[in-house]
Amino acid sequence: MNRRARLLLLGPYVLLLVVFFVAPLLLMVGISLSRESFGRLEWALTLRHYVRFFTDSYYLSVLADTLWLGLLTTAATLLLGYPLAYHLALTRSRWKPLLIVFILSPLLVGIVIRCYGWMILLADRGLINATLVEHGWLTRPLPLMYNKFGVTVALVHVFLPFMVLSLTGVLKRIEPALIEASQTLGASPRRAFFEVTLPLSLPGILAGSLLVFSLAISSFVVPILIGGFKVHVLPMTVYEQVLSVFDWPFGAANAIVLLAISVALIGVYIKVTERALRGIV
Amino acid sequence: MAVGLVYVFLLLPMVVVVLAAFNAGNYFTFPPQGFSLKWFANFFQRREFMQALWLSTELAFWTAAASTVIGTAAALVLVRGRFRGRDVLNAFVTSPLLLPQILTGVALLQFYTLLKMQASYSALLIGHIVVTTPYVIRTVTATLTHFDLALEEAAQSLGAHPVRAFFEITLGVIKPGVVAGAIFAFAISFDNFTLSLFLTSAKLTPLPIELFAYLKYSFDPTAAAVSAFAIGVALVLVLGIARFMGLEEFTGF
Repeated sequence: MNRRARLLLLGPYVLLLVVFFVAPLLLMVGISLSRESFGRLEWALTLRHYVRFFTDSYYLSVLADTLWLGLLTTAATLLLGYPLAYHLALTRSRWKPLLIVFILSPLLVGIVIRCYGWMILLADRGLINATLVEHGWLTRPLPLMYNKFGVTVALVHVFLPFMVLSLTGVLKRIEPALIEASQTLGASPRRAFFEVTLPLSLPGILAGSLLVFSLAISSFVVPILIGGFKVHVLPMTVYEQVLSVFDWPFGAANAIVLLAISVALIGVYIKVTERALRGIV
Repeated sequence: MAVGLVYVFLLLPMVVVVLAAFNAGNYFTFPPQGFSLKWFANFFQRREFMQALWLSTELAFWTAAASTVIGTAAALVLVRGRFRGRDVLNAFVTSPLLLPQILTGVALLQFYTLLKMQASYSALLIGHIVVTTPYVIRTVTATLTHFDLALEEAAQSLGAHPVRAFFEITLGVIKPGVVAGAIFAFAISFDNFTLSLFLTSAKLTPLPIELFAYLKYSFDPTAAAVSAFAIGVALVLVLGIARFMGLEEFTGF
């Protein structure tokens, strides 16, 4: 393939990305450093929006809540996802394609719909509470929604498929002979799991966790619909500043803080998956 | 057993939505209060939902068409080209996948507004193409790496022009990946919420945005009917991918 053919084939997408992806992101950086006065944008080089973000206790607590929810979600998806991935990697069941559909289908069903499903289940008059109250097991509905609990449950549901996909990829590549060998040498299945399988699947655990964490901290449909504006996270402040308050520079600064965290995580993620692919870790 | 419970957890919200859509009552209770299609009737009678459905379908179609062409071409170079900086380019072209879409959305909104292009159909379409093309590149790359280059070379040594060799030989072999990529791009665009939220206006609302607006003010099961319909579409698309590419190949299992 010569240079001209390469340029002709790859050029359109690279150009599209530079104009409609890279340039807008750079512009956002520029806006976060500029000033807003009477609804007009004035270009400048000021760090005041970042100073405001990092000195205001409200925004710091939003940041802390965002990271905390991300951490909870990551831990829970790992605990639920590992057995699932392990089973999927080893199964010879003829139902395997169906199991893959089950894991993939939430990915292809829009996020608003999945949140709506959780609203039907978790609301005060929702399926769970209504059933419990009707049978007299409860007098008042449990607070399942409009709090961090509900938001975490829905976030775990939304991002579990990503964790399972990351883990299955690594678990499948573990040589079964290694586990058999450790058992022939007298290790119990439990010990073989903790001393062979688990350490070998660490790259998948790390990659999946980074991916889920970075997706979870940037989700805002779930906090809005399930949290009902009672749980405040960073993506929501970005949304509010840009689309409701119209304070673009401050909104952009909020977005850049989120961007910085994501880019750092993505950097580590790429390093981890590269090394995992080469099988060094 | 434990694994079974996790599957229940994964599927439960979708099952509940579908049951609620066919349930006669205003609130979904268990056991259901009888079968009814009135929520679907309401969905199909409401103009705003019909317009949104049409817009989403059209948008997803053009997004899939454009990203399939652009993505397939890019994948060809990325798999076969031997040149410096290929790894960097590989990471670059998939970067829209890794970046949170809310950031892409905010950045595009500000960019379009300064260009006086906001809330236009083409602005929305370009945004969707940017985020779906990496998926096409991935699926096409997956099938392209198995492709035996000797086939194409044979065609060329028999006198076929490289372009003809591509359309008659290569495309035939990598078709599963191309079609699966197109279907996936359609699905991603059809369901996209986050990016669309920043690029829409009162006159330009795709279905997920319309549903979101509806849910903010009312809780009635018309939303369930809309959702059940979209779940049906997703199911058909998954079956399409399974048919053309195989799900194990598609997910990299």
